[in-house]
Amino acid sequence: MSDRTKIFLLLLPAMFIIVVLFFGGLAIGLMRSFNYMPVIGLTEPDLSAYVSVFTDREFYLSFLLTFHIAFTSTLISSVLAIGAALLLRRSFVGRGIVNFLFQLNLTVPHLVGAIGMLYLFSQSGTFARLANEFGMIEKTSDFPALVFDPYAIGIILQYVWKEIPFIGVIVLANMQSIGEDYESVARSLGASKWQTFRFVLLPLIFPGVLSASVMVFAFTFGAYEIPAILGANFPAALPVLAYRKYTDVDLAARPEAMAMAIVIALLSAVMIYFYVRYSRRRIRG
Amino acid sequence: MTHVSIKELTKVYPGSRVPSLDRLSLEIPSGELTALLGPSGCGKTTTMKMIAGLLEPTSGDVTFDGRSVLRDKPEDRGVVMVFQNYLLFPYMSVADNVGFGLKMRKIDPAEIKRRVGEMLDLVKLPDLGDRKPSALSGGQQQRVALARALIVQPNVLLLDEPLSNLDAHLRFEMRDLIRSLQQEMGITTIFVTHDQEEAVVLADRVALILDGQMKQYDRADVFYKRPVDEATARFFGGHNFIPGTSDGETFDCALGRVALPEGAALGRGKLTFRPENVRIGASTNGENTLQATIVDVIYLGTQTRLKLRVGETEVEAVVNPNEIESYRAGDELTIHMPKSTLWVI
Repeated sequence: MSDRTKIFLLLLPAMFIIVVLFFGGLAIGLMRSFNYMPVIGLTEPDLSAYVSVFTDREFYLSFLLTFHIAFTSTLISSVLAIGAALLLRRSFVGRGIVNFLFQLNLTVPHLVGAIGMLYLFSQSGTFARLANEFGMIEKTSDFPALVFDPYAIGIILQYVWKEIPFIGVIVLANMQSIGEDYESVARSLGASKWQTFRFVLLPLIFPGVLSASVMVFAFTFGAYEIPAILGANFPAALPVLAYRKYTDVDLAARPEAMAMAIVIALLSAVMIYFYVRYSRRRIRG
Repeated sequence: MTHVSIKELTKVYPGSRVPSLDRLSLEIPSGELTALLGPSGCGKTTTMKMIAGLLEPTSGDVTFDGRSVLRDKPEDRGVVMVFQNYLLFPYMSVADNVGFGLKMRKIDPAEIKRRVGEMLDLVKLPDLGDRKPSALSGGQQQRVALARALIVQPNVLLLDEPLSNLDAHLRFEMRDLIRSLQQEMGITTIFVTHDQEEAVVLADRVALILDGQMKQYDRADVFYKRPVDEATARFFGGHNFIPGTSDGETFDCALGRVALPEGAALGRGKLTFRPENVRIGASTNGENTLQATIVDVIYLGTQTRLKLRVGETEVEAVVNPNEIESYRAGDELTIHMPKSTLWVI
């Protein structure tokens, strides 16, 4: 057996999953979004599902909300993760334990974290009751709305909690492999601590930050479960809206759900493209 | 021009009991080019980093023109360090690398451009400003790193193994470049190296550091003629160490009674002389002339190394291959060591 055949056979299972499940699903989703389902007699594709998506005001509100969730979560997580990595790369007593604690919630599922948020931050949650107990608020419903709130604070909190260690671990590994010599050079050439960070360390770790934050942005833009648990009813995040359409009793809403899913994927790809281009120029240019 | 003074400088790294650098003291006159020489891990780079302010000493002091700089931030010391692996910023062009220090000082961009151009001319890389460092050869990267350091007109320049990553033919070119720029700009320069040849070809003076302690600080030739001890002599390629007793004029040892130069130490010690100072044949006045038997002949191309037996002891000699063409192991040979080439440690 030639090497090429061997490689082909070894890759086959992975390729099967990608081609059949991913591209297959995408193809079916695309067909349905165009109202094209020969099995049930729909043989004339049209754009009606897209038209109704783009003429629905809720879609735009949902898009803004979803963008706000993804952008804010990614930005806050990235900034805090870089800060954490800067601290964690120093040597200090107990660094091993701090490092362990920092990474601990990587193993906690998003869903579990979300339920924890619910218990802690809802108006009937632990913090509300504690605040009430200590006389800081008169009744628990005076506690600020941090979940089911219009600004998606609960959702963002949950994402930030979960994604800081994710980005942090990548950035920390990146910093450790780069070492501190470039920064030493910069300092001896007259750069202040801030200039050294801005003009030397940040551009050096930038590829790592970029790939980690793109992953976080794509995930938070397209994820369903957290906004479903912690989000307000209206406007809902785009994936929640799409799922609602998909499970609508009216089967005619399904192509709309598919169209929305396709739009979510395209929007997220376009935004990531511009983010990568813009930030590369800004940080390294 | 800055006179650098290092006083009892000590560094003990956290978690280590043995100091990496143990009470090093050194005076580096302004405008001189000094080598810190020693094997890997002897504390050379630690010393440089402490001078540059990149590492805090455990104790001791560093002064520039009599003023302690230990409280000054690295960027305020006027010290620039060029690392062994150059560390050019990979995402910047060559011109941006060279202009980095000026940009950090918020110099006008047009002025930066002008000075970068001048500096690239000076290091003979006038047309490479737009390239990325990865597109340069090792020698070119070294020049860019040097240009990036010199453009900020430092008071003190620190070079970490400046020649060791270069090919043999580039070494001399770079040596000449470093020396000429250093002389022209009058910058007090300290470089570290583990290679005694690098130290000798480049430096005005050499400080030898072994096991975190300074052994000797002198002009390069003194290390060959008057080493302070056996470890120092061995570091510079010394081989012959013959125990005995000195009365100041002669040395009584297994070679017999050997005449010493003026200023040799008294009492028990070791007679040392460099293999290349052993001459074939008798001296004109018969002084320090010995009969030897050849134990081994090792041909090294431009020179030949001889292992010789003299009485009860062995002596190594390095001679011109033409002088001993017909000799083989077991042959008898007359040798002498000129008095001025001997030393007692």
